[in-house]
Amino acid sequence: MESPGSILPWDMMAVAMARLLKSGETVFHGVASPLPMVAILLAKHLHAPELTYLNITGAIDAAPLRLPLSTVDPALLRGTRSLVTLADLFDLSARGRLDVAFLSGVQIDGEGRINLSAIGSYERPTVRLPGGAGSAMLMPTARRVILWRTRHDPRTFVDRLDFVTASGNVDRVVTPLGVFVRIDGRLHVESLHTGVAPEVFREATGFAVEVGPDTAVTPPPSAAELAMLRAIDPDGVARSEFA
Amino acid sequence: MIDKRTSLTDAIAPIPDGARIALGGNTLHRGPGAAVHELVRQGKRGLEIVKTAGAYDVDLLCAAGCVAAVSAGFVGYETPFGMAPAYRRAVESGVVEAREHACATVIAGLRAAIQGVPFMPVAGLHGSDLPAQRGFHSLRDPYSGTEVFVIPALMPDVAIVHVQEADREGNGRIVGTRFEDVLMAQAARRVILTAERIVDGALFAAEPDTVAIPGFLTAAVVAAPRGAWPFSCTPDYDYDADYLAAWVMAARDPDASRQFIAERVFAPVAAVAVG
Repeated sequence: MESPGSILPWDMMAVAMARLLKSGETVFHGVASPLPMVAILLAKHLHAPELTYLNITGAIDAAPLRLPLSTVDPALLRGTRSLVTLADLFDLSARGRLDVAFLSGVQIDGEGRINLSAIGSYERPTVRLPGGAGSAMLMPTARRVILWRTRHDPRTFVDRLDFVTASGNVDRVVTPLGVFVRIDGRLHVESLHTGVAPEVFREATGFAVEVGPDTAVTPPPSAAELAMLRAIDPDGVARSEFA
Repeated sequence: MIDKRTSLTDAIAPIPDGARIALGGNTLHRGPGAAVHELVRQGKRGLEIVKTAGAYDVDLLCAAGCVAAVSAGFVGYETPFGMAPAYRRAVESGVVEAREHACATVIAGLRAAIQGVPFMPVAGLHGSDLPAQRGFHSLRDPYSGTEVFVIPALMPDVAIVHVQEADREGNGRIVGTRFEDVLMAQAARRVILTAERIVDGALFAAEPDTVAIPGFLTAAVVAAPRGAWPFSCTPDYDYDADYLAAWVMAARDPDASRQFIAERVFAPVAAVAVG
């Protein structure tokens, strides 16, 4: 057991992401998304029982016995009573019926746009990144996009993206340091996680943010949230993203 | 009844250099591993790989010098093994062209090919640099006047799909997620199936709704037990984490990746023994 008072960053992120989901919403995650997988299951077991959990396997409301590291793993099929395709899920978003998509970016700018394509030039990049997967299509069409990123530093949260892979309906951005909310097209600091000083957050962010002693603090994970998190993710798959 | 069974060697041999090849599966799962290894052994060159989300398949083919371009939404091993080192190096050095798609635009391009139309409208993409970078045009909707992006038809010369069960006519049954495999099979000029098991087609006649790929589209079917390896093939086996970890380590260095390919891909008996 962890010592009381110490909040693990993966716990805080999973809980903060889960709290953003509402019962009745359709919520999707794609490949390489352990934290969203955990957060969606956490929300469904706590405050959002009628959330519809969609993932890239095409399973609906899967109840995996063990959480896989790959988030398109057949383990995520368990418990589904029907099976759709990835094309069906993109179509759902295209027609405005996907409430929430979880996406991420290697670079994220002050408008909540993301780069998953290339560092440097697109044609001859210094780093060729994996690519945006579904994001260029999902980000403008999902009703709400929640970005998450386990790294919060000025190379990640940048003033200018090397390439805009996707742009669109970003609502929140959750990091190990806090939560951004997007208002009028710009990211603003909504809350700092416990123990994060305003200047630490400011210096870790490559674009200008207003943050200070009056900035709210993210409520720490409750005992109930932590207990459910341990029950859902006993192997610590959420932590794998911090490796 | 046409018996389409053949050897893996003979199924892959007709694929010409420069072919556009769609590979079934997604990231670590149910990719056609045995067929990918055969493409490497036969020394194919100048291939364009089509996939929504690739991993070992794209990475290995890049390392082996088989690839000119990759049309995919994502190339990487997800959280277990991270980025694809050989793909990265090939693109960064200008040897391979990254034709990045949104996964939905791969699907749109396949759908255009399937439907016999030159392009397919797709929702989204607004605000992304991808359309300009990739030359995806937009058109004005003649009915509402709004702008919509249109994706050119993406017709693979060959689709290679690994299934759990096929009959000798090339009907293919997929257990679990079908990924984009059915779309690829419908869009491609030629379909190659590799199968864990060749079964009696009478079993399919009893449950034709469970067959994903109709045999009349299939050109060749290959009995390939463990033929997805090192990808997973539910429910028979998981992805080979030890092998993939070793490959990703080797793939970071050109010499190490060449040695790995020589020892592990050109020695299929040893590779199967590891699995």
